[in-house]
Amino acid sequence: MVADRAETRIGLVLVAPAVIGLVVLNYYPILQSALYSLFALDSSTDWLRARFIGLRNYRDVMQSDQFWYTLVFTVGFTVVAVALDISLGMLLALATFYVPRRVRGLLRAIIIVPWAIPKVIQASMWRWMLNSDVGPVGDIIVRLGIASEPPLFLVERVLAMGSVVVAYTWKGSSIAAFFLMGGLALIPREVIESAIVDGAGAVRRFFSVMLPVVMPTVYVALLYRSQDALRVFDVIYGLTGGGPGTATDTLSSFAYTAYFRYAQFGRASTYAVVTFLLVAVVGVFYIGRVRRTFSFRE
Amino acid sequence: MTRKSRQTTRRIVSTLIIAVVAVWSLAPLVWIGLTSIKPQGTEYRMPVEYWPENPTLDNYRTVLGERFRIQRSVLNSVVVSSGAVIGTLALSTLSAYAIARLRFRYRFHTLYSMQIAGMIPPIVVIAPTFVLMRALGLIRTYWAMIIPNMVYAVPLSSFLIASYFANVPFELEDAARIDGAGTLRTIFRIVLPIAAPGMFSAGVLAFLGSWGEFMLANTVSIGSARVETVPVAVLSLSRAFELQWSWVAAGTVVTLVPIIAAVLIFQRTIVSGLTAGSLK
Repeated sequence: MVADRAETRIGLVLVAPAVIGLVVLNYYPILQSALYSLFALDSSTDWLRARFIGLRNYRDVMQSDQFWYTLVFTVGFTVVAVALDISLGMLLALATFYVPRRVRGLLRAIIIVPWAIPKVIQASMWRWMLNSDVGPVGDIIVRLGIASEPPLFLVERVLAMGSVVVAYTWKGSSIAAFFLMGGLALIPREVIESAIVDGAGAVRRFFSVMLPVVMPTVYVALLYRSQDALRVFDVIYGLTGGGPGTATDTLSSFAYTAYFRYAQFGRASTYAVVTFLLVAVVGVFYIGRVRRTFSFRE
Repeated sequence: MTRKSRQTTRRIVSTLIIAVVAVWSLAPLVWIGLTSIKPQGTEYRMPVEYWPENPTLDNYRTVLGERFRIQRSVLNSVVVSSGAVIGTLALSTLSAYAIARLRFRYRFHTLYSMQIAGMIPPIVVIAPTFVLMRALGLIRTYWAMIIPNMVYAVPLSSFLIASYFANVPFELEDAARIDGAGTLRTIFRIVLPIAAPGMFSAGVLAFLGSWGEFMLANTVSIGSARVETVPVAVLSLSRAFELQWSWVAAGTVVTLVPIIAAVLIFQRTIVSGLTAGSLK
């Protein structure tokens, strides 16, 4: 590209409002959070008057079992939830191509509904579904004879972890499905038809013919969903509130409680900064693809 | 297998698929709907009641009535989301034009800095943003939600609109210039109409994003029902009335109906926006 001085000047004017907005509401707050994390800040955000303690917050946090537990839970949640999002999403997407054209619109409409629902409301709906006294999920489990009493979904540690994954995936798989539909639609018909002629069964057809073609889409969906899962907050806050105890707290929900319930601004910022670093690791793979998406005026 | 029996199999399997997907996607909604018509006090009745014995609309009367006025949160959300969308579209259209249409030296710098900003987890910005909004005296006002949401949607919107701008052949623009049309005229007559679908998708996605946003809205409205958006209002209702779940359910239904209707209406736009907005 040959940059043009006059056009660059116009360009600067045009991007200025957006860039100023991003600096004030995204970049400045990150730096500020990073600064908070270097001070002994309790019940105040007045860091200029607080004691500078360098990396002590980080050292304290690193030495606490809570931090490592929360970090491992956040990463584990992400791995499991994203794997489910993508595989369920893929099944949903394949289903829309399998059903006759007449009902395809109906099926897509059903799949898109969870998407409309704000995440925190989704959490509160699942809280009611999983209620161990009058929730239908526990009741059905008992009726099917899987357990003699309704499981205490939100009280027992492992079940609570499973519950947040299910509630999260409910919406996540529907988002992933629409991503993957876009990828599946790009597979040329002839490719699939010739595989059928060759006598490849449905499973074989999927893994050796379709999957390689949609792999780039799967990859993008994976990056996109991982970033979302690593910073998960609403579903945790609304469904378990991090409980029992702090068993289902993620870095984000733990930090939020530390900020706004306990006013431990220094410590909370440390958690927040770690969340950012985790997301940034995934982000590196994401950013590299930006340039290739455009063809620009040369 | 004969052709006919294969078709029958496909029909049966399709029906099964639709049934299973419908249960998975709609069960929580159906359950909330059923709970909302149970007389208050019977929603905790055991064994679990799958169909209310005496269905009633009383819960709706309660949540829409003077005491709760849950519909106010829908209005608040409409104000916040519309305000944010208008701002987002203005900011992103300008910057997308610079990124995709000009020989702009810093296009990649802009694009990258936007994409990085788009990945920032809300938890990292929430405390300083709260402090900033408090310093500006905007706590418990719509502005404390409109301004940040408007900026949060800029990365995706700019990217989306820029990818539509990039599809306008430069020859078209050049030809208009040669015909003596000024820059502004060219933009309004040639470039914007072609990018309009992109702007529309970007607008719808930004609207949805800001409609569902919870962390910021919860933090800056601090219990003031006057400005609470839908997610905040529903969560505080469910926290405060854990034992009156049929009220909570009715409130949830009232706030969900408009947004579900909107998503179904704009389904195509949303999907095309998502696909175009994601990287290839």
